[in-house]
Amino acid sequence: MSILLVEDEEALAFYLKSELSNYGHMVEHVARGDLAYDAARDSDYDLLVVDRMLPGLDGLTLIQRLRKQNRKMPVLFLSNLGGLDNRVEGLNAGADDYLAKPFAFSELLARVNALLRRPANMNEQPYVLRLGDIELDRIKRKVTRAQAPILLQPRELALFEYLLLRRGQIVTRTMLLEGVWDYHFEPKTHIVETHMSRLRSKLGNDVIQTIRGSGYIIRAPQSDA
Amino acid sequence: MRLSQTLKSASFKLTAAYAGLFALSVSILAAITYFSVTGELSGEFDARIRSESQVLQAEFVSGGVPQVLRAIGERQRGRLVDGLDYSLWDRNGRHLFGYLPNVPCRPGWTILTGPPDGDEPPGELEKLKLYIMPLDNRACLLVGDDWGKVETFGAVILKTFAWIFLLSLTMAIAGGLFLSSRFLKRIDTITKTAEAIIEGDIKRRVPRRSVPDDLDRLAATLNRMLDRTTSLMESLKHLSNDIAHDLRTPLGRLRQLLDSARHGHLSGEANRAVLDKGVRELDTILEMFAALLRIAQIESGSRRAGFQRFCLSRLVTDVCETFAPALEEEGRSLKQDITPDIWINGDPELLTLSLANLLENANTHTPRSAEITVSVTKANSGVELCVADNGRGVPAQDSMRIFQRFYRLEESRTTSGNGLGLSIVAAVAELHGASIFATDNHPGLRVGMTFARAA
Repeated sequence: MSILLVEDEEALAFYLKSELSNYGHMVEHVARGDLAYDAARDSDYDLLVVDRMLPGLDGLTLIQRLRKQNRKMPVLFLSNLGGLDNRVEGLNAGADDYLAKPFAFSELLARVNALLRRPANMNEQPYVLRLGDIELDRIKRKVTRAQAPILLQPRELALFEYLLLRRGQIVTRTMLLEGVWDYHFEPKTHIVETHMSRLRSKLGNDVIQTIRGSGYIIRAPQSDA
Repeated sequence: MRLSQTLKSASFKLTAAYAGLFALSVSILAAITYFSVTGELSGEFDARIRSESQVLQAEFVSGGVPQVLRAIGERQRGRLVDGLDYSLWDRNGRHLFGYLPNVPCRPGWTILTGPPDGDEPPGELEKLKLYIMPLDNRACLLVGDDWGKVETFGAVILKTFAWIFLLSLTMAIAGGLFLSSRFLKRIDTITKTAEAIIEGDIKRRVPRRSVPDDLDRLAATLNRMLDRTTSLMESLKHLSNDIAHDLRTPLGRLRQLLDSARHGHLSGEANRAVLDKGVRELDTILEMFAALLRIAQIESGSRRAGFQRFCLSRLVTDVCETFAPALEEEGRSLKQDITPDIWINGDPELLTLSLANLLENANTHTPRSAEITVSVTKANSGVELCVADNGRGVPAQDSMRIFQRFYRLEESRTTSGNGLGLSIVAAVAELHGASIFATDNHPGLRVGMTFARAA
């Protein structure tokens, strides 16, 4: 997939470019906002990774201008640590996801992959999600495995749904906190882990895998393969 | 005090303006008095003479010139009418009575000047105002009086007012100079104090006077402001000391880790473990900075713009549901005492963060079998959000200090945490106009915030 990386910090840009290339992405790098605008307007990238503070044209304005030009490629916004409101500003400007610096590369990679594989419209996903013999009815909010109902708490069901919509992708703890709980901070308590273990104990241990140091991934149960 | 400075002072300008206004009003009063008094006097003067002439004309009609002469004679002898002058001339210009000079016999008023007769100011001539009345073509009657009296009276009025004017203006200016120089002297004291503080003597304060007045109140307010600034500076100094102190430990550990990795005699696996540990140490430091920046942003008040009405009971229930499994897994129990349907105005995200911090605080500082109770209740003074535990609690004298940045109880030094969680709670409470509390739970700690009752 082709990614345009807009980052003025040379060391970070070099590191991200080489790491993302290792994972098979074609990465082009520009260090200025105005150059990024020209590049993104004229060619089709699958994803933009944009730093907020840029020489030439700042990240927020860059995204706003591109969206005005009807450029719809997903945008991942990078911003410096600390701002509580930056996230909202970034998303309002038209970014699809937001990551605060400093971040672990695994976190960035998970989000890049999530954005690249995201269906054009989440709502076009079927209302019954299937994984092997497991079914999740998104309207009745019910889960069955081999036709037998599984009783899930609403939060557990939301967690399962979030994973099902991103099957085959690594989903990080932070992504789950943001997507399922709408928590934009990192609690020290193991809330994701305990919910995940309850979900696993109800679904069966073969559904959700833990990727050490990165997050979780959902795959069809072995019996189905 | 230099004169030019006094003249430029606001109080002097005010005094001068008042003096000018006073002078103007004195002038207007003088003009009104002068014109109404002289008008009244000359009107009365004219009426007296005109009616006397008419009386004499009536005498003439009834008995001719001899009758008139007799009447005048009676008047002068008997002093029936005080002080008037008369003259009578026949139609040939022959003088019949009186000493007034002959004038053309046309009816109306005329003013004559003559030699002084003693009642006028020195060096001025006698001034007479006469009424001329022809009597049936045969004679001409003149009746008049000393006009100078009226004019002198007007002049006396003007002179009196001129003195009043000069005197009051002098007093106003002198008083203004005196008052403003006193005022400026006190302003100068304040300026000197401020300059001393700028020079570095931050303990200096504006001297107070025993009598409270405007300037004294200003001095008191300035002193209070200086006290507040000083205490803020002190706390900032403490804060930077604390940051430096709290950074040294993880940075020292990090240095040690990097050092052992650099020497390179660790196996691949051990090397990776060292690096992982290093990253964790760095994350602790970054987390600390994130928390500090977060507190700073909450304290800036910018989030208040995004306040909305939301159901606090619902939010607290949700957070409890999220945290309960993790707390229970370690052996603690989470009880809820949540009054349903309590709505407040605020920032749900920040209150979620605060409640999470309160729960994590209770989780970190209690033994594993502890019971944690989350409550949302209507109290007398408003709505109370409280997290209570039955752990070791906090000594009463330290209870409010737990909200200070980096404050940690001696026995908690070994537990994880950076001493900023409750500071965030305090900042969020402040943003919401809520008061924080930390009290004894007999045993344990009750900590939380009370939102003022919505109007």
